[in-house]
Amino acid sequence: MAVPPAAGQRRRVPWSGSSTPDRLRRVGVVVVAGCLIAASVSLVSGLARVDAVNEGGGRVAAITADAAELYRTLADADASATTGYVSGGVEPAAVRARYDDDITRASTGLVSAAGRIPGGDAAAASVATVAAQLPAYTGLIETARTYNRQGLPLGQSYLTSASTLMRTTILPAAAELRRIETAALAQDYASGGAFPFGVVLLGIAVLAGLVDLGVREYRRTHRVLSPGLAAASGLVVVALVWWVVVTAVAGSALSDARQRSDASTAVDDARTAVLQARSNESLVLVARGGGAANTQFVAQLDRVLGPGGLLDAAAAGGADVGAVRSAAQDWQAAHQEVRKRDDGGDYPGAVASVVGNDPNGSNVTFQRLDAALGAAVDAQRAAFTAAIGRAGGAQTLLAAGPAVLLLLAAGAVVSGVGRRVGEYR
Amino acid sequence: MRRPAIYLGVAALLALGTLLLPGGDTPAGATAPAPPAAAAPAAPACTPVVGGLRPQGALPAPGAMPAGSTMAAIVAKGRLVAGVDQGKFTTGYRDPQTGQLQGADIDLVHQIAAAILGDPDKVQFVVLDIADRAQALVDRRVDVVVNTFTITCERQKQVEFSTPYLAASQRILVTRGSGVGEVEQLAGKRVCTSRGSTTETVLRGLPLRLDVVTYTGIPDCVLDLQRGRVDAVSSDEVILAGLAAQDPQTEVVGRTLVDASYGVGVNKGQTDLVRFVNALLERSRADGSLAAVDRKWLSVLKPVPQPAAARYRD
Repeated sequence: MAVPPAAGQRRRVPWSGSSTPDRLRRVGVVVVAGCLIAASVSLVSGLARVDAVNEGGGRVAAITADAAELYRTLADADASATTGYVSGGVEPAAVRARYDDDITRASTGLVSAAGRIPGGDAAAASVATVAAQLPAYTGLIETARTYNRQGLPLGQSYLTSASTLMRTTILPAAAELRRIETAALAQDYASGGAFPFGVVLLGIAVLAGLVDLGVREYRRTHRVLSPGLAAASGLVVVALVWWVVVTAVAGSALSDARQRSDASTAVDDARTAVLQARSNESLVLVARGGGAANTQFVAQLDRVLGPGGLLDAAAAGGADVGAVRSAAQDWQAAHQEVRKRDDGGDYPGAVASVVGNDPNGSNVTFQRLDAALGAAVDAQRAAFTAAIGRAGGAQTLLAAGPAVLLLLAAGAVVSGVGRRVGEYR
Repeated sequence: MRRPAIYLGVAALLALGTLLLPGGDTPAGATAPAPPAAAAPAAPACTPVVGGLRPQGALPAPGAMPAGSTMAAIVAKGRLVAGVDQGKFTTGYRDPQTGQLQGADIDLVHQIAAAILGDPDKVQFVVLDIADRAQALVDRRVDVVVNTFTITCERQKQVEFSTPYLAASQRILVTRGSGVGEVEQLAGKRVCTSRGSTTETVLRGLPLRLDVVTYTGIPDCVLDLQRGRVDAVSSDEVILAGLAAQDPQTEVVGRTLVDASYGVGVNKGQTDLVRFVNALLERSRADGSLAAVDRKWLSVLKPVPQPAAARYRD
């Protein structure tokens, strides 16, 4: 039963050993310390998450996009070089320009990737392989071109040698680079969406301390809550709820982003497989007997179109692959016509399909397929960026907000306990 | 009083623990081990068939083939289907400017077409992989194979050969000015040839400790020779001549390591076509047209190889 104390008199209270004000102060200090610790843990965790999604994620995302682009431009260069050869003595200017552009972009992408990756990183070895072998590749292609201009078939062997180098050494290294960077990005985002155990545990502990304090006071004084403690409890609850809601929203946005990233990788792989198949189609036409066989074309397209293949994986990640699939089937039919003509001895007819402008020919259907794949990749990348934007938006003020609330809660505890202690003077 | 402290203490420890633990999974690095290359079993010893099928009677006039014969079927089809190569300079290669096939083997195909159909251009050329030549005849995808097709015992089990139309002596190709004149001067050095060929067997059998390098095709060997990675390339003289013609800094040297010859490949059951081709070759040898083809294409070889006299087994 509460008895307002007379001024200046100390009341003896039935508590074990210590005086009430001292006890209150002790508990108050512990709870305030808890709030401060929770505020600092919240600040640190919040900063780490914001960094993982925005800046750290931005840097790794840029490298991943670079690595994917490198992978594609290398395969495109090989396809351009081999197709140019099919045309005969001097390749068409457009094909030559595309090859030169691809090599320039691949070299530039390589330099920027090498600049961003710290030395000793696992990805540095892949970058070194591509950087060392790309000049060897371009050297072989130029030698093939020189022999072709002179009308000598030794160029076919150089072309086959170059294409083999690209297929067996350079492209796998570029794929490895992309794989490493994609894994690092996934790791960054996973940490961004993980449940904030530290903050939640501390918050619950502080809340438990406040509730305990409130329950004891109630038992003793039958006064339910002091405004200070009530405010503190409310602030701690709001901070915890903030954390949980942001984690849920950001987590779902990040997992959507991850799905889009996987779909984007699958479409990228499909694009490169299609380019490799195009390269193989040209190589078999000009350099058969040197190891190029149509089985590789069939294998690459099967990887793309077959059940459980790359297009299926992309569709599972949310990509719209209907247009791509039908374009791929058109190209497959055109290619079979090319094979029929070549095997039947109609070489000029086969060449016309591979480099000409027949709307049902291999060249035109391939360009359509390449464009469809490009559009699919762009759509996936845009969706990915939007999802990351959503996650970043959900995390606004995550670093500062709950920390400020917890500091205010500490202040409220101080004022609440201080007022209560003051009642005992 | 102690309880809040206990709560806080435990929570702080756990919080510290979750912050310190490394997060995320390390990506599993799956490396598929390369499958071991299967070694080809050694072929059992083989008894070669010596001599071709003798032509019976005079050569029929073009277009007027005996009824029911393979040649009559070809006339009915309207064209001769020939298996050739498009990458061997001077024997069978495609001119990049015109897209047309040219070479010594191609000229022979035109001669056969002219003899059967009366028009040398009524030909359908099918480009074959080296490994596919015998199978293409067995499957009847082509009527004849004229593709530097060396007559070997193994192949004679699958296809029928005409009498030899060109010698296929195996020699070596070296860089001009290297001072190498015979294979003995390559002792301990690197020599390149095609995988699984008789040349490989012969080179490994020589007591010269040669470092034998093999590739799928001979032109791949020439790429290495040009880059200085091997010291010599060994193969048929005619194939080496084509490569030396493309790179004037190389030359064909040395004595013949193995004697072999090229024949026209025909399906084993079509003996009438074989006899026809043999009769045609007899006529070409006699009137000098075969020698003329060789001179036209193989002048980089000195002396120009001459077709041997035919031997028959019946």
